[in-house]
Amino acid sequence: MSDDIKKEIRKQYFHYFRFWFIGIGILLVITAIAGVKHVIEINVPRPNLSAPTERVYDYADVLTDVEEESLRKRIAEVERRLRIDIVLVTFNQSVEGEEARRQYGYRSADWEQNMMDYADDFWDENQYGYNKGFEGDGCILVHNWFEGQNGEHLSTSGRVEDRFSYNDIDTVLYAVDDYYDTDPYRAYMAYVDTVASIMGRERGESGTFSLGAVFVVPIVAALVYALFNLKQKPAKDTTTASTYVEGGKPVMKGRADEFIRKNVVSRKIETSSSGGGGSRSSGGGGHHISSSGASHGGGSHRH
Amino acid sequence: MIFVCKNCGGNVVYSPEKHSMFCPYCDSVKSDERRDLSGGEISVCPNCGGEIPVEEHTSATQCPYCDNYMIFNERVEGAYAPKKIIPFQMGKEACKNSLREKFKKFTFAPTDFLSEARLDSMQGHYVPFWFYSYDTSCRYEGEGTKVRSWRSGNMQYTETSYYRVYRDMDIDFQNIPVDASVQMPDDVMDLIAPFHYGQMESFKPEFMSGFYGEKYNMTSDIVEFRAKNHMQEDAHKLLKDSISGYATVSPGRREVHVKSSEAEYGLIPLWKYNYQYNGKAYPFYVNGQTGKIVGIPPISKKKVWGYTGTLWGCLTIIMILLQLISVWML
Repeated sequence: MSDDIKKEIRKQYFHYFRFWFIGIGILLVITAIAGVKHVIEINVPRPNLSAPTERVYDYADVLTDVEEESLRKRIAEVERRLRIDIVLVTFNQSVEGEEARRQYGYRSADWEQNMMDYADDFWDENQYGYNKGFEGDGCILVHNWFEGQNGEHLSTSGRVEDRFSYNDIDTVLYAVDDYYDTDPYRAYMAYVDTVASIMGRERGESGTFSLGAVFVVPIVAALVYALFNLKQKPAKDTTTASTYVEGGKPVMKGRADEFIRKNVVSRKIETSSSGGGGSRSSGGGGHHISSSGASHGGGSHRH
Repeated sequence: MIFVCKNCGGNVVYSPEKHSMFCPYCDSVKSDERRDLSGGEISVCPNCGGEIPVEEHTSATQCPYCDNYMIFNERVEGAYAPKKIIPFQMGKEACKNSLREKFKKFTFAPTDFLSEARLDSMQGHYVPFWFYSYDTSCRYEGEGTKVRSWRSGNMQYTETSYYRVYRDMDIDFQNIPVDASVQMPDDVMDLIAPFHYGQMESFKPEFMSGFYGEKYNMTSDIVEFRAKNHMQEDAHKLLKDSISGYATVSPGRREVHVKSSEAEYGLIPLWKYNYQYNGKAYPFYVNGQTGKIVGIPPISKKKVWGYTGTLWGCLTIIMILLQLISVWML
């Protein structure tokens, strides 16, 4: 192969893919900028310094010291990455009935209402929230181990409240429900991980595409491209029946369309019918205002 | 015969762009003077004495040594005198551009497929054709059905009406072209049609100067079956097209009666580009009048792998980068 041909091959190749290469170059620059921005962001200190550093309050004493420490470590790691506060409170106290209302000053005798108030007040009074002490980003799980009133409430705030739908709240609570009676540590670790997973999706941690798509889409696209370009279009016959007819059309000398007979057939028509359903998957699940006036979301599961 | 310039003595050729005889040496138009070649071997150039590759049916060619175009009198006169000719309407440059335009998006063609050097090897040929004309009377008689359907309550009714269908028409077929060259593939010659007969002229040898040519290789009676098949197919289709409004039409009885017929000999202009790739020939034919192209380019396997692989690589890189950007920027 002569040098001229090789030169022409290279020229054609780069000319053909020029926009692709330029696009990749631009994306590389944007990726580099995004990488720098990301490194800077993860090293920025949390804005809200008024909240306590403690995240795990095991008043019910269902966790060992080692388990508590492990949870604190995991929460700290998620908080740094997702920039949300994650708080866990276990307690063992009646929150239902007139006696509990009088004794602890709840505003109602209802279990669910009081669990919600307990969680909201704990959050608001401690000024939790990664970015600010009022309506800041984060969530709190309070788990009541009082006999006959066992159950938990998840209260969300700020970005977490905006992101969590009823389904997301249920997902977190079910993750806790699965293990709370056999292994509380595992149940609370599931709480932290489920919140991290849902908020990670919000931040695009799993990315715009799934890992499978990153490998499969280019292969499929390349195959389609190859097949499309391999397709050869042979020349078509562009003559018609009248191409060689003088004047472009025949001379009609005679024509007839005479009715001969007819017949009719009949059949019975069969009929059928069908219906449909709905879903609940948008953010802002369980939205309400706490006694301190802060906006919260959330939900409870009683066992 | 050879056409020389009265002004400079150069070889005058027919210019498709100028629609006239043209001297490429002194740019004179209509300065041609015919010089008949006197006796001697036709395989020897009368101008330079060089040996010319002349095959059995060659009627016009170019001397490979002095580049002069010559036409062999005895192969364009007498029994071999064409009655009509469609002169070249597209010059070589227009033809090259036509090929480039058609195949520019064919990514996997070899790199030099549309190179200037390769395309420059293209040659203009006058291909011998027989033109058949048939004055016919065509009839059809058969049965057609019309279907009507309606609903009443929970019953569906379908009514089928039967009709006697009759058509009688005269069809005057003019100039159905059939090539009379053994070298030219029949399927390609069928596809290269149609031609605009309005530009057809009475034969003059001047039109052949500057091109290659052949006399007919096959007589009219040998190739007429192709024209008759064509005529029969078209007649049946025209009969069928005249019948409308029916859900079904039976094959019925169809007759095509030829009242009179005629065959005329003529020449059709064709550009031929013979591309060689990996030891195999890939011929391309371009209608020298309409520019219609017949031929399929070869595929370079290296290009298929290289380009497809590059596209795959680019897409994978782009998706990975977008993934990183979406994770880091949000």
